Amino acid sequence: MQNFQIRYRNTQGTLMRILNAASRRGLEITSVRAEAAENGYQVTLALEVNPKQVGQLFREWYSIADVTVVRAGSAPTAEWAVPHPPEGVGIESRTVVRA
Amino acid sequence: MLKGAEIVLQCLRAEGVELMFGYPGGAIMPLYDALEGSGIRHVLTRHEQGAVFAAEGYARVTGDVGVAIATSGPGATNLVTGIADAKMDSVPLVCITGQVRSALIGTDAFQETDVFGVTLSLTKWSRLVRTIDEIPEAIAEGFHWARSGRPGPVVIDIPTDMLKAKKEFSGPVKFTPHARLAEAKAEGGFTDTIVTEKIVAMLRQAARPVALVGAGAKLSGAIPELRRLLDDLNIPTFATVHGLGAVPPQTPYYLGMVGMHGTRAANMALHETDLLLVFGARLDDRVTGDPTRFAPVAKIVHFEIDPAQLDRVRPCDLPVIGNLADTIPAFQAELRRHSSSPSLPGSLPDFSQWRSVAYGPERAELDPRGLAQPTIRFLDELFSRLPENNVILADVGQHQMWAAQRYRSASPRGFITSGGLGAMGFALPAAVGVQLAKPDACVLCVSGDGGFQMNIQELATVHRLDLPIKMVIVDNKYLGMVRQWQQLFYERNYAETDLSDNPDFVDIAKAYKIHSFRLKEDALREFPVSQETGDLIDRFLSSPEPELLVFDCAPEANVFPMVPSGAALSEMLLEEK
Repeated sequence: MQNFQIRYRNTQGTLMRILNAASRRGLEITSVRAEAAENGYQVTLALEVNPKQVGQLFREWYSIADVTVVRAGSAPTAEWAVPHPPEGVGIESRTVVRA
Repeated sequence: MLKGAEIVLQCLRAEGVELMFGYPGGAIMPLYDALEGSGIRHVLTRHEQGAVFAAEGYARVTGDVGVAIATSGPGATNLVTGIADAKMDSVPLVCITGQVRSALIGTDAFQETDVFGVTLSLTKWSRLVRTIDEIPEAIAEGFHWARSGRPGPVVIDIPTDMLKAKKEFSGPVKFTPHARLAEAKAEGGFTDTIVTEKIVAMLRQAARPVALVGAGAKLSGAIPELRRLLDDLNIPTFATVHGLGAVPPQTPYYLGMVGMHGTRAANMALHETDLLLVFGARLDDRVTGDPTRFAPVAKIVHFEIDPAQLDRVRPCDLPVIGNLADTIPAFQAELRRHSSSPSLPGSLPDFSQWRSVAYGPERAELDPRGLAQPTIRFLDELFSRLPENNVILADVGQHQMWAAQRYRSASPRGFITSGGLGAMGFALPAAVGVQLAKPDACVLCVSGDGGFQMNIQELATVHRLDLPIKMVIVDNKYLGMVRQWQQLFYERNYAETDLSDNPDFVDIAKAYKIHSFRLKEDALREFPVSQETGDLIDRFLSSPEPELLVFDCAPEANVFPMVPSGAALSEMLLEEK
């Protein structure tokens, strides 16, 4: 598992372009955390990647128009380790809530 | 007070737009309503794909931004292939699409498509305009990204109510990236002496250096700088299909096109080199063959403006990020600093022996059965008889590769084709854009019988504008390149590639009121060609009107050399087994 932090201007589609760089390679995106950061926004991703893909992703993210910084991030915190999708929020339980 | 549509047009004018291509429809109607008196000429194509390819043709031949317009829903989705094409081939393109009115967005309204979402992975930048106030900024920023760095496509989606709304308009705006973004996207590149010294040191240690030139050379506008550098280096040099024309073909060290249908000399030199200098090429699979056996003993120095293009198929040893217009002169200055002093121990080695080896005993393509020879000779005759001011467009398929192999011009923007995406149907509408951009040029559009039918409706555009485009169909009554693969790799199982029931293209052109005629390949069997055939080609090329020439090509003619998919460049086929 590799973690990445990407700083960007939060313009239309920029976060989607960042995620698309992973999804177009068929990578499973284990966790995504996007938030305001100094002078812009930051998304932290956890991905299963091989070393070649790391280099490709770094460069592809960096070439997105509104991305300013790309770097390997710190280890995910414990709260990121919850199952995806979260347990107990399946279709059945949503139905119950609606009812 | 101005309407949103009028603001759009004023902003386009401020960006230097004089010509755009499009097709009207419901959501974009307010923009069409405001066209008259805007100072922008609109060219109606007969399909939105024709519009976007025409805009691409305009952009590819001029280097300026091409503009295409379409309505929402199917109009917008019909642009998608052209947008993908522009992304692959680094073409500056701005597409403006009408969208359903704001209140209906997300309701699956009539002719609503999420074009922003559909094109997200194909565009360099895009914007769904939400208020009329955003229009000037969206257009300014869209043009900035279309032009800057590695050029590419932009989509600006504008709801129809924004085009109808009115506001006080104080004039177009300029987009200036904020400081951090400007710093992050600086194009200056790593032109410091440490990098350039490293390249010179690598050259000193190399025994078999070569240079590969791609589209970036012409996109950067650094052709003169590149040619001076290559003259200094004097090493075997070759080009990708988009790099054709960057190096004059008669240059002694030039070996022609490289890659799947490249010359034997270029592919062998690339396979055996120990130092590869890449100038503005992304090294895609059509150039490299099997990436694990691509230039297997070479170190790679990659000059590239877009970092995303590095290491895609093979790690490079020294990336030189930046605009070639900056990085090439920096490298050359370092090179001359060393080479101008022969007494320096670090002067470059003498590469003359390697050059002569790289050329090999023969540069001509082989085809012992001769089936392709009349077509190759036909293209040679066409190209050699073109006036100096010419642009050649090739569609996609066998004829494209034959044309690329026979291209002999030193004009960097003189050979235009859909190289990355390989979109059949590209050439005819693109030729419309080229001819409008270069009204005095002889524009020669070479297509196959499959691709020509994909945008055949643009004959109506050619006729309406009376564009003197010289259209050629190389008619082998097959989807020829697919058939070639079926022959070589699928045991001649010609599944669904037979087009022997093609319509009569001569009759079709006549229905569009375009003069047309057929030339049998027998006329090109002898060399030199007869006076009669030569005169026929001369008359065709010099006609002041649009003309269509249908050339009969042998159905089973093949393009050689050919590197089979997944093979190394050294394993090219020179003939049929």
